[in-house]
Amino acid sequence: MTNFNIKEHLQACRSKEETFKALVTLSKNLPRLSEEEKTDENKVKGCESAVWLIEATMDGKRHFKADSDAKLMRGVLVALLSLVEGKTIAEIQAMDLKAELTELNLSSYLTSSRTNGVLSIIKKLTSC
Amino acid sequence: MTFDPLSIRSSFPILNQMAHGHSLAYLDNAATTQKPLCVLDAIQDYYRNTNANVHRGAHFLSVRATNQFEGARDTIARFINAPTQSHVIWTKGTTEAINMVTYGLEHLLEKNDEILITSLEHHANLVPWQQLASRTGAVLRILPLEANGQWKAECESYFTQKTRIFAATQVSNAIGVSTPLQTMLSLAKEQGAMTLVDGAQVVAHYPVDVETLDCDFYVFSGHKMYGPTGIGVLYGKIPALEALTPYQTGGEMVRKVSYQATEFNDLPYRLEAGTPNIEGAIGLAAACNFLTEQDRPALLAWEQSLATYTYKRLKSEKSIILYSPETNTTLVSLSVSNIHTMDLNAYLDSQGIGVRSGSHCAQPLMTELGIEGTLRASFACYNTIEEANRFCDVLIEAIDILGDE
Ligand SMILES: Cc1ncc(COP(=O)(O)O)c(C=O)c1O
Repeated sequence: MTNFNIKEHLQACRSKEETFKALVTLSKNLPRLSEEEKTDENKVKGCESAVWLIEATMDGKRHFKADSDAKLMRGVLVALLSLVEGKTIAEIQAMDLKAELTELNLSSYLTSSRTNGVLSIIKKLTSC
Repeated sequence: MTFDPLSIRSSFPILNQMAHGHSLAYLDNAATTQKPLCVLDAIQDYYRNTNANVHRGAHFLSVRATNQFEGARDTIARFINAPTQSHVIWTKGTTEAINMVTYGLEHLLEKNDEILITSLEHHANLVPWQQLASRTGAVLRILPLEANGQWKAECESYFTQKTRIFAATQVSNAIGVSTPLQTMLSLAKEQGAMTLVDGAQVVAHYPVDVETLDCDFYVFSGHKMYGPTGIGVLYGKIPALEALTPYQTGGEMVRKVSYQATEFNDLPYRLEAGTPNIEGAIGLAAACNFLTEQDRPALLAWEQSLATYTYKRLKSEKSIILYSPETNTTLVSLSVSNIHTMDLNAYLDSQGIGVRSGSHCAQPLMTELGIEGTLRASFACYNTIEEANRFCDVLIEAIDILGDE
């Protein structure tokens, strides 16, 4: 799925149920991590579901791999990573990721940081 | 069944609303219950007609506020069958009540003394004891009850001469089982241990009689029994309460103060420093009256029938694993193989159904069960069979949507 499609797919959702189903569909596009990659070090703290995030910078551009044991979170990760993949740290830090997620109808995943930890993921995406 | 939840529902206007385009089904009552109109009215009425600080000013409103506040204490005492109101200490809730005990008893504990709790405790009845143990060098031991609450033969050996304190929940919030409380309390008392019972999950459903239980402390929260948040109760036997060092000091709890020393007030005031949560106490008394006016056995039978009905409907689904018992409980706790409870929770929410998923503040229990968490639907008197059916239908739908890879 291209970034444009992801955006269109999520923005077309008119209800919580539609967003739920869209995230389930998106989740299928996330390449899963191997068990060796799911280390404690790669784990994002503060998420109720387990989330792993791996970052590698090449030629100044950041590339991400991520996984979760919860499907919706994998869908959110697909959306979130599509926003930041291949960008420089400066570019990512200049973005308002919360606003971008809100535009994708995902604001409810931001509010309850205690239960899903998307805010912790954003923090990790934007830290050096 | 003669009980009619629809008539009681009219006392809970909050239930009558839409959530994400569906009618709201509130099935998270073990976390907190909704409040009936009489509780809301009591709080409003207090602020409209009575508000003043208690135990202080000698004026019209202060006397009225003090009377209502102390009257509320009396209502609580009768509600749990405590002999007098001096046995009832106001707290913020269960958590604060347990902390008052763990700090208050610190001076009695020595290195290698044992604190015994069960394997079914909420973190509120675990972490404060663990911290007390680490402060004093006492040993925290865990009584290994079966996950269905049942007694194992080896359990008896955990009660020894060294057991100074025994603390246990009466009903598990995570999996809804009742613990063998009487057996445990007698064994603890035989060894001369002090006893604390966590009644947080009990008060909304079952009658409480602290005299019959004969424990040293009994604790609960108002918000789980149709009362307001921020108010709860520490019941204690008088010698037990007197053994507690006040964990907060200041105004209200003193009799005589000089720069050199302070003489503390009598019970219950000795343990209540500062201006209390007056509205909370009055609201909680209104919640007790609300419950006392109901046919409580009928309410309990209704809540249990909802849980049993749900259990029976779900037990034939092969991907569902149930952790709560089939009968004698007011909640259903489950997990689904290969699907995260958070995902199920989100779909239920999208359909207007409010439940809870996760470890339910009982991580060691979840570890023992070998799971990350459960999905819990917990019932109160105002829930209906339609809501139980919707929960089952939507859950099965969610499994369908989430199950395919
Ligand atoms: C069994 C049990 N104990 C203690 C507590 C803590 O209660 P509170 O958060 O009201 O202090 C709860 C509430 O979740 C509970 O279910």
